[in-house]
Amino acid sequence: MTAGVLAGRPRHLPQSELRSGIGYWVASLVTMMRFDYGRMRQWAGMMIVIQTMMGAGMALLYGFFYPHITAMRALYITTGAPTLALIPLGFVMVPGTVAQQKLEGTFDYIWSLPAPRSAQAASTFVLYTLLALPGSVLALLVAAWRYDVHLSVSLLLIPAVLLCALMATTVGYGLALAVSNPIVTNVVTNALMFVVLLFSPIVYPASQLPAWLATVHYFLPFYNMAVVIRAGLTFGAVDHLTTSFIVLAAWAVVGAAATAWVVGRRR
Amino acid sequence: MTTPKMAEVLPASVIVPHGTVERGARHWSHDYVVMVRWHLADLRIWLMTLTAVQLLSGVGFVLGISLFFTHIPMTAALFVSTGVPVINLLMVGMILGPQLVADQRSSGSYEYLRSMPVSRSVTGAAWYTVCLIGGVPAMIVSLGVARLRYDLPLHVSPMIVPAVLLTSFAGTMLGYAIGHAIGNPMATRLITQLLVFVVFGFAPVMFPLSQMPRWLGAVNWWLPFRHMAVVMRSALTPGVHTAVMSGYVVLCVWAVVCAALAGRALGRRP
Repeated sequence: MTAGVLAGRPRHLPQSELRSGIGYWVASLVTMMRFDYGRMRQWAGMMIVIQTMMGAGMALLYGFFYPHITAMRALYITTGAPTLALIPLGFVMVPGTVAQQKLEGTFDYIWSLPAPRSAQAASTFVLYTLLALPGSVLALLVAAWRYDVHLSVSLLLIPAVLLCALMATTVGYGLALAVSNPIVTNVVTNALMFVVLLFSPIVYPASQLPAWLATVHYFLPFYNMAVVIRAGLTFGAVDHLTTSFIVLAAWAVVGAAATAWVVGRRR
Repeated sequence: MTTPKMAEVLPASVIVPHGTVERGARHWSHDYVVMVRWHLADLRIWLMTLTAVQLLSGVGFVLGISLFFTHIPMTAALFVSTGVPVINLLMVGMILGPQLVADQRSSGSYEYLRSMPVSRSVTGAAWYTVCLIGGVPAMIVSLGVARLRYDLPLHVSPMIVPAVLLTSFAGTMLGYAIGHAIGNPMATRLITQLLVFVVFGFAPVMFPLSQMPRWLGAVNWWLPFRHMAVVMRSALTPGVHTAVMSGYVVLCVWAVVCAALAGRALGRRP
């Protein structure tokens, strides 16, 4: 009797020893992605709709502000549409979701799961990056149809869009983790959206900005996102492409580093 | 036999709250002042957000629109500068108001507010006053910045008074109807977000009607925003304006219908 209970005991205890290794990390990533997708599934459709509305809607809306839409303006607005669709996902929805999780307590629950926290974060990055794609494509198609713009799509578009989506997600996630108060996160993301929609050279050339503002934008991600995506959709309309890729990669690293810093800390 | 019955009746009448609405002009004005003070005290936490939103949407738009053009045409500057005041006026009543009600519903303070012994007209009038307090100063700042930035030929006529009052009233009542007649807070938030989108970009508020597709302009005739822009613009700029009278009429109809909807929702016992 006693021996039976003793023999059975270890099986009921959680496996508390720290497991590690590439194999375990990958297995955790896959499990976390299934877990995250399961929670996200009911919102996934709505996210794509919001994104399409944001990208396509903004592309249509910008057109109304111009008395005459020249070929150049049409090209800028159309190729800016996918960028406009990517920005709210990474910079608004990701921080919003994390803020919501913090309020509900889900966030702490996920951290308590026996999966490496880096795998948990990576799962979010991968899912949101994938989720960002359909909305951007739809926004581009609507804008191209509305303004009757002929695009020359190149293979460069794939790394450009993937890098932009990854960068937006990591920076959004890092922002949400680094700012502990969800209300502050909400205010920051909303203010950010406003700045992006009006004061960022995404649907108009950077040359229309005052010099100081243009300089600021060379270091911020939004202008550079527009540059690399435009480079993938047009031929010869963009210069300083490599610089833009480097700036975006740097932002992605900063976002990932901020995430790693917060995730690695013990409370 | 009668005595215990009396005993049962008496305590019941004692615990009935003093909840009847007092009638008469004196009570009305007293309740009104109290409710305005209540709202202002309640909103003080929102004040920072409100100021930021008003500055961003007002001054931000006035300054930001010039970046869309290499040289901004005077018409574009004029339309944006006279359209932004409409948005400033709508901000509290139509956009923040319903979200506030949605928050109150989520947190449970909505039922508490409903239980206060003031009449519906007092509640509505006090809220409308608060919307004017939150909108008019922002409108003046936006117009001032626009004038300084673009050197606009603005000419403020006395018609600005009815234009501001009616624009704000129609917007406030629309927000009131959305906030009170729609029970689900999530739906309220969603509709409000959609309205922001419509007012900023899909209604001829900040750009001429001729720059949008004809069918969309026709749809907008049935919505209030186009008419708000028309009545405000006619009071702010010199020259002859068309469709001002019909604008006032459509706005009045919207205001009355929305006020009736909101009043009915507020009067219903849950």
